[in-house]
Amino acid sequence: MSTIQVNQISKRFGTQQAVDQVSFEVEPGEIFGLLGPNGAGKTTTIRIILDIFKPDSGEVEILGGKMTEEKKNRIGYLPEERGLYQDISLETCLNYLARLKGLKPTDAAERVEQMMKRFDLYDHRKKKVKELSKGMQQKAQLITTLVHDPQLIIIDEPFSALDPVNTQMVKDLLREERDKGKTIVMCTHQMHQVEELCDRLVLINRGKVMLYGKLNDIRRQYSGQEVIVHPLNELPANLPGVQRVERENSGYVLHLADNLTPQLLLKNLVEQGVALERFEVALPTLDEIFIQVVTARGELE
Amino acid sequence: MNKFWIVFGHEYLRHVKRKRFIFALISIPLFMAFIMGVSILAAVISEDRRPVGYIDQSGLFLDARPIPPTRSGLFQNKVQILAFEDETAARNALDAGEIQAYYIIQPDYLSTGSVKIIAKESVDSEVMQDFSEFLLTNLLKNADPKIRARVLEGPELILRPMDSDKKFNSSNPFGFIVVIFSGVIFMLAVNTSGGYLLQAVVEEKENRTMEVVLTSLSTDQFMAGKIFGNLSVGLTQLLFWLIMGGIAALIALRTFPDLNELGIDFSFFGLMALTFLPAFVMIAALMTMVGATATESREAQQIAGLFSLPIVIPFWFIAAIMENPNNPLSIGFSLFPFTAPLTLPLRSMLTNLPFWQIGLSIGLLTAAAAAAIWLASRAFRLGMLRYGKKLSLAEIFRPQS
Repeated sequence: MSTIQVNQISKRFGTQQAVDQVSFEVEPGEIFGLLGPNGAGKTTTIRIILDIFKPDSGEVEILGGKMTEEKKNRIGYLPEERGLYQDISLETCLNYLARLKGLKPTDAAERVEQMMKRFDLYDHRKKKVKELSKGMQQKAQLITTLVHDPQLIIIDEPFSALDPVNTQMVKDLLREERDKGKTIVMCTHQMHQVEELCDRLVLINRGKVMLYGKLNDIRRQYSGQEVIVHPLNELPANLPGVQRVERENSGYVLHLADNLTPQLLLKNLVEQGVALERFEVALPTLDEIFIQVVTARGELE
Repeated sequence: MNKFWIVFGHEYLRHVKRKRFIFALISIPLFMAFIMGVSILAAVISEDRRPVGYIDQSGLFLDARPIPPTRSGLFQNKVQILAFEDETAARNALDAGEIQAYYIIQPDYLSTGSVKIIAKESVDSEVMQDFSEFLLTNLLKNADPKIRARVLEGPELILRPMDSDKKFNSSNPFGFIVVIFSGVIFMLAVNTSGGYLLQAVVEEKENRTMEVVLTSLSTDQFMAGKIFGNLSVGLTQLLFWLIMGGIAALIALRTFPDLNELGIDFSFFGLMALTFLPAFVMIAALMTMVGATATESREAQQIAGLFSLPIVIPFWFIAAIMENPNNPLSIGFSLFPFTAPLTLPLRSMLTNLPFWQIGLSIGLLTAAAAAAIWLASRAFRLGMLRYGKKLSLAEIFRPQS
C-alpha cells in the first residue's frame, strides 16, 4: 500500500492553473523527490496532500485513506513558509507545538528535551525564540517536524538558506529517518541536492507532471550516446563508431554513433589494449534532464 | 486532551502570566481608588468646620432651637449655629476666627426673606443649606411635625408610566454613573481582548506558523481555542474590575448611606449582560477578521480601532438620549448592534422599554455576532496562507472551493 496516492488532482487560483492533472505515488520507506522550478505547483500539491487546500478535482489518499485529525499526529511537515512563535521561550514554543501533535505533556517535555540536547539547543531553551540565530531557529523547526516521531515526513525546500554544515546535517538526518523506515517526501527546486538522496521522484513544471519514476531509470532514459573515459595513456586515433571526441579535464567525452553501445566500445578499447582509469556512461544531471524536457515540449521560458 | 484546550490554555496563559497584563489589571482599580481617595481627602481637608453666627433683627428667632446636629454618612456633622446680641460681637468673633461667617436676619425678613451674610471667604453650600434649614425649622416649629418634615424635604417626584408599574426616580444620577462606568469598563475589556486576538491572529501570519498548526489540528478547533482563550483574558479583566467595582460600591455605600435609597433595578444588570456578551463576541470576531486579512499588526490595529469607535457613539448623544429616551434616534441606537450595548441599558433606566425592542435589539446583536464569527473564520481560512498579501472583502464573500 502506498503511503501517499495522488490521483489526477487539479487546482486553479483565479486564472492561473496551479496544478493540472497531477498523479504520483509515494512508497513506504523511501525518500521521494517532488521537484520543479519555482512556481511549478509543488507547494500547492503538498498543501492539497495535507488537506490545507481542497483540489478542484482529483483525489488524494494519505496513510491509507482520506486525511483525518488522527493522521495529523503521524505526519511531520516542515513548510517552505516556516516560522516559530517569536515572543515566547524556545522550550515553551517547542512543547506547545509538540502537544498540538498529540503528545502528552510529560512525553512532549521529555522528547523536546532529548531533541534540544541532540541539536545543541538545550542551553538556549529559556531564551525567547526571536533571540536565537537563524541557524538555531532552523534546527528548532526541524525539532517540531520530528518531535512526535512521525511515520511520514514532508519537507518543503529543506535546504533553503542553510549553510553547508547544516545542509549536511539535514541530509544525514533524512537518511537516518529513512533507515528507521520512515517515508520522506522532499520538495525542492534545487535538483542537484536531491540527486544523492532520492530513490524516486516526480518532476512538475507549470502544474504538470514532466517526469516520474526511479531516479536512475530517468537518468538512463535521458542519457545520450556519451561515455566518459579516463585512459592512462593517449586514446587511439581511430575508434570505430565514435563520432566526436571532446577533451574534458583529465579525460575525454566520447559521442557514440547510434549503433555503438557503451558496452561494445568498452570491449573495443580493452581489445586494443587501452589501459583505463575510468569508464563511465555519462548520465545527465536532473537539471540537464529538466532543461531537455521543457525545451522539447516548448515550455522553456 | 482535546486540542482545543491546548490552544485555549496556551493563548490564555501566555497573556495572563505576563507582567504587562497583571500591571494593567491592577493599575486601573488602583488608579480609581487613588482618585476616589484624593477627592474624599480634598473634601475633608477643605471643609470649614467652624460655626456660623447670626444676629436676629426680625425678632422671629429669639428662642430658636438648634437643628438636629447630624447627617448620615462621612460628612455627618451639621454646622453649629450661634446667636449674637449685635453685629459688633459677631464681627469680633469673625475677626478672631471663631466663626466662619455670620448672617444678619433683616427686620423685614418675614415679608422679604432678606438675610445678609458677612464672611471673609465664600461659604460652602452645605453651610447655606444648614442655615436655611435652621430658619425653616424654627419658622415651622409650631406646625404639625409631619407637615414640617414634608416642607423641609420637598416633593419626591416619581415618574410612573400608565401601562406599567415600573418607577423612575427623578433624582437618580447614580444610575447614569453606573451606565457610564460599565460602558468604559466594557470598552477597555473589549479593546484588551480584541487587541490580543488581533495580535494572536496576525502573529500566526507574521511568524509563519500557520501551516504547521493547520497540519496539527483543524481550523475550527484552532480558531475556537484562540477566540475563547483571548476572550477569557478580557473576561478575566472584566470580572476582576467588576469585583473591584463592587467592593468600591460597598465602601461608597458605607460612606454615603444616602446612596442606598437610589435603588438600581436588577433587570438593568441582566440587560447589560445580555447586550454586552454578544457585542463582546462580535467585536472580537471582527478584530480576528481584520487580523486575518491584514498583513502586519500595526496596520491591523489601525483598522480595528474603527470597530470599537461606534460603541461609544451613544456617549456623544447622551444628553439627547436622556432627554428623549423614546425618540427615533434613541430607538435606532438601541437596535443598531454597535450602539445597542450602551444605549439599551441606559434607556432602561429612563423609560419603560417595550419588549419587542429588547427582543429585537438582542436578536440583532446575536445575529451580528454569529455573522462576525462566520466572516472571521472564512477570512482566517482564506487569508492565513497569504504571506505579505492582503485579502479583499469581496474575496471573503466569494463562494469558496
